[in-house]
Amino acid sequence: MVIVPIHQSYSAPTTTAEDTLLKDVTGSELQKIIDSYKGEKAVLVNIWATWCAPCVKEFPEIVKLQRNYPDDLKVIFVSADFPQQRDEALNFLKKQKVDWTTYFKTGKDQPFIESLSQEWTGALPFTKVIDMNGDLVASWEQSASYEKFEHHVKTAINP
Amino acid sequence: MKKQYLLSIVPIVLGVCLLAFLPSQEALLEELPIGSQAPMTDVEVKDVSGKMLTLKDVAKENGLLVNFSCNTCPWVAAWEDRYNPIAKLAKENGIGVVALNPNAAIRDDGESLQDMKQRAEKSNYQFYYALDEGAKMAEAFGATRTPHIYLFNSDMELVYRGAIDDNAKSAKDVEQPYLKNAIKNLAAGNEIDPKTTKSLGCTIKWPS
Repeated sequence: MVIVPIHQSYSAPTTTAEDTLLKDVTGSELQKIIDSYKGEKAVLVNIWATWCAPCVKEFPEIVKLQRNYPDDLKVIFVSADFPQQRDEALNFLKKQKVDWTTYFKTGKDQPFIESLSQEWTGALPFTKVIDMNGDLVASWEQSASYEKFEHHVKTAINP
Repeated sequence: MKKQYLLSIVPIVLGVCLLAFLPSQEALLEELPIGSQAPMTDVEVKDVSGKMLTLKDVAKENGLLVNFSCNTCPWVAAWEDRYNPIAKLAKENGIGVVALNPNAAIRDDGESLQDMKQRAEKSNYQFYYALDEGAKMAEAFGATRTPHIYLFNSDMELVYRGAIDDNAKSAKDVEQPYLKNAIKNLAAGNEIDPKTTKSLGCTIKWPS
């Protein structure tokens, strides 16, 4: 039996900036995060992936939207990349100058999809806008323009 | 007369007002419901072999498997190691198989018939792989992503729709082989459960 001194076998967990920028999340955890903004901010959830061309195309528009509505809107990005593409997702977030916590989908597809929306079929990108009362304003598959995002966000801010 | 007219339009006006307050889900396509007849079964599509096919031609005595697939989607690549084994299982169970490529908006960017031919050769596809021109088939099926599965019985009624299984990344770690189970149960005349499943996938690149 090999006895490993405790100071060698254990190292205190350290939080890096990268851990904060991209955190693992399951569908149920994501719902709790969304709910935490109820009564405080409108929420826009966007499910994206580095390999998804329409996601990459619309991404800067959503970043712009967060910058334009810092007090009333919380954008929650969730990467649906495969685990081996996690570094690519992180690099993309940095390149897009995202400076708030985003998430990395873990767990099976079906419970994740259904926890977000019964209508979502699983195609990416997927966006869901929730108003300050926690009620759904809009959800859609496919990419969107800044104008479309803003239209629904304005409704969500002033329900 | 005027009163009657007013009474008849009030519910319509109220309905319109109510609709304005409902959440907007404008771009969520309706997938073909379970029990529906396969659409566009007489429409010809071009296979990578150059042969013209219809869904009716491809169907066998126990039914038809349609997979909306493509060349450029990482989710297709992840599941592709299961394409031929599933096609083999389907054929052994009297079910015809066709993959349809609906990515009409990016035909010049990896999704042409020539690209499809190369993919079919490279991956040794043992099933038809045909061009869904203008994504008309995908639209009629309410398909939204690749891969997206539709399984029909001998009467060409939809009996299963959705995912291949519950683990795109690893065939050996699959816990729920949804499609394989559906094929076996269809051929055996057993209940298919679940009838619908969901998975993440690449959005279909619709023509503008």
